[in-house]
Amino acid sequence: MLEIRDLYKRYGKFTALDGLNLEIGKGELFGFVGPNGAGKTTTMRIMSGLLRADSGSILIDGIDAVAQPMKIKEKIGYMPDFFGVYDNLKAMEYMEFYASIYGIEGLEARELCRDLMKLVNLEDKEDAYVDGLSRGMKQRLCLARSLVHNPELLILDEPASGLDPRARFEMKEILKNLSSMGKTIIISSHILPELAEMCSSIGIIEHGRMVIKGTVDDIMSRMSASNPLIIRFASGKQEAVQRLKENPRVQNIAIQEDSVAIGFSGGQEEEAELLGSLVSQGIGICHFGREEGNLESLFMQITKEDGNEG
Amino acid sequence: MKVRINPVYKKELKISVRSIRLSLVIFAYNALLAMIGLLAFYFNFDANGYRNISYSSVLVVYTMIAILEFALILFVVPAFTANAIAGERERQTLEILLTTTLKPEQIIIGKLMSSISTIILLVFSSFPVMAIVFAVGGVRFVDLLQFMVFACITSVFIGSIGVLFSTFFKKTVPATVFTYGAVVILTLGTLATLLIIYLLVVQSYENNYYNSGAVGNYNPPGLGNLTLLLLVNPAMTLLSMITKQYGSMDIFKEVLDSFGGIHESIVNNWYYISVAVQLVLSGIFLKLAAWKLRTK
Repeated sequence: MLEIRDLYKRYGKFTALDGLNLEIGKGELFGFVGPNGAGKTTTMRIMSGLLRADSGSILIDGIDAVAQPMKIKEKIGYMPDFFGVYDNLKAMEYMEFYASIYGIEGLEARELCRDLMKLVNLEDKEDAYVDGLSRGMKQRLCLARSLVHNPELLILDEPASGLDPRARFEMKEILKNLSSMGKTIIISSHILPELAEMCSSIGIIEHGRMVIKGTVDDIMSRMSASNPLIIRFASGKQEAVQRLKENPRVQNIAIQEDSVAIGFSGGQEEEAELLGSLVSQGIGICHFGREEGNLESLFMQITKEDGNEG
Repeated sequence: MKVRINPVYKKELKISVRSIRLSLVIFAYNALLAMIGLLAFYFNFDANGYRNISYSSVLVVYTMIAILEFALILFVVPAFTANAIAGERERQTLEILLTTTLKPEQIIIGKLMSSISTIILLVFSSFPVMAIVFAVGGVRFVDLLQFMVFACITSVFIGSIGVLFSTFFKKTVPATVFTYGAVVILTLGTLATLLIIYLLVVQSYENNYYNSGAVGNYNPPGLGNLTLLLLVNPAMTLLSMITKQYGSMDIFKEVLDSFGGIHESIVNNWYYISVAVQLVLSGIFLKLAAWKLRTK
């Protein structure tokens, strides 16, 4: 559905995108995560035809977004992070205005807009003036507006920013619903846990480069490989500590009451080997495994590591 | 066949007619014009007991209204159009428009049309008051139509400058200031520039003439084709139109002669030529505005 290859964008001396590569399949609900200034909005603006990349390519459904911007605009629905509304325009008129841009007018437009407003739970706000709606309602209306031409790809830049918990929940439910309808959706956010529970896959961007991409579980298991190994003992703790000190892969040991946390440089095979050797020496082990990370710490870890590299 | 109205224009029109401001402006404007017309008739006919009627002075009413409407266009159109794109930017609604299939040209045209539609409406609504001059003759129906065409084209011309500045500046204030500046340059600046150049040319001629002993006829050169710069001046277009409608272009010719004169055929067709030039310039300005909107 979407293929980004070696995308570069500079603003003077600042490099916003530094050879970004990304692939998103049809029907995916992709979470685009990164700290502020990482390049999320720049990428989305280039995808939407609002900005021109210095180099690289974006293919949406096989169509080059740079060479055929008009064709691309038929395929995408874009919702910016900040947007305004027109004064003196009712919600239904706002929707009908955008429908008329795509040549949908009259009764057909009215029915379509009514359906979309129902989809975003605004069916009772048809006659309300747009500038009088709450922020959450405006966000939902803008989402409905971006769907007016039935786009295949939805690009949503921080759709939940500035919303209260209830409005965030409602927005999340609507997006899940849209995803189940087969829409390909890209949502950006600087808060990973917010996206993790609804996205089928996520990508973390830092300094204009994609640091990691995959499903949440996949990324979690990959990242937890660097977490400390926690071993809880039923018996033989002292002997086990002695053995661990002799193991060249053990970098450090933190001894706790009934367990130890070790920095271990090996992978899953080496972990199995270590467990086997401890058990064969008659040490009673009731827990053996990497410390589970949470999304917050994962995000901090990834972005910090990348920052250190740079 | 179904005619598709520019969506931006349609939306803007809906918003503007919703406000009571438009009705009040039309009412106040026409009330003012009606008062002028009534007073003109009163002083010309009723006040002197229908004796010594000066029919030509009724024509002054037509001229006054024409100048009033021209001034209105020069003052109001920049304020409306300079807000067109910069206002969308300030409201943060432009980006969404640009991600739709709407072409920048359509956005520009829609904004221009909606910005000048109020002023055009005012001009057209004054048609009946202006038509009172038919009662005494002198101005024909076709002359009124010619004025309406002039008003529309001047609105488009000034409006296209406003829209152009509106795309170049992110804020409404500098766009408005520059548009008013452009209007002053077009109407007064062109005349002042030509006058200064002409005075310098004459000064230089006089120096040579008197230094060489004032031999031969004193015949300073004119500015020649440089005077054609005035074709972009809507005030000169109005002057050429009204003087021609009066039956004598003497005043207009005098103005041009003060810069050394210009070919007779151009003077006689000044209205059509200048209107064409201003339309072409409007097209260029709008194209530039669309280009600016497209450039990221």
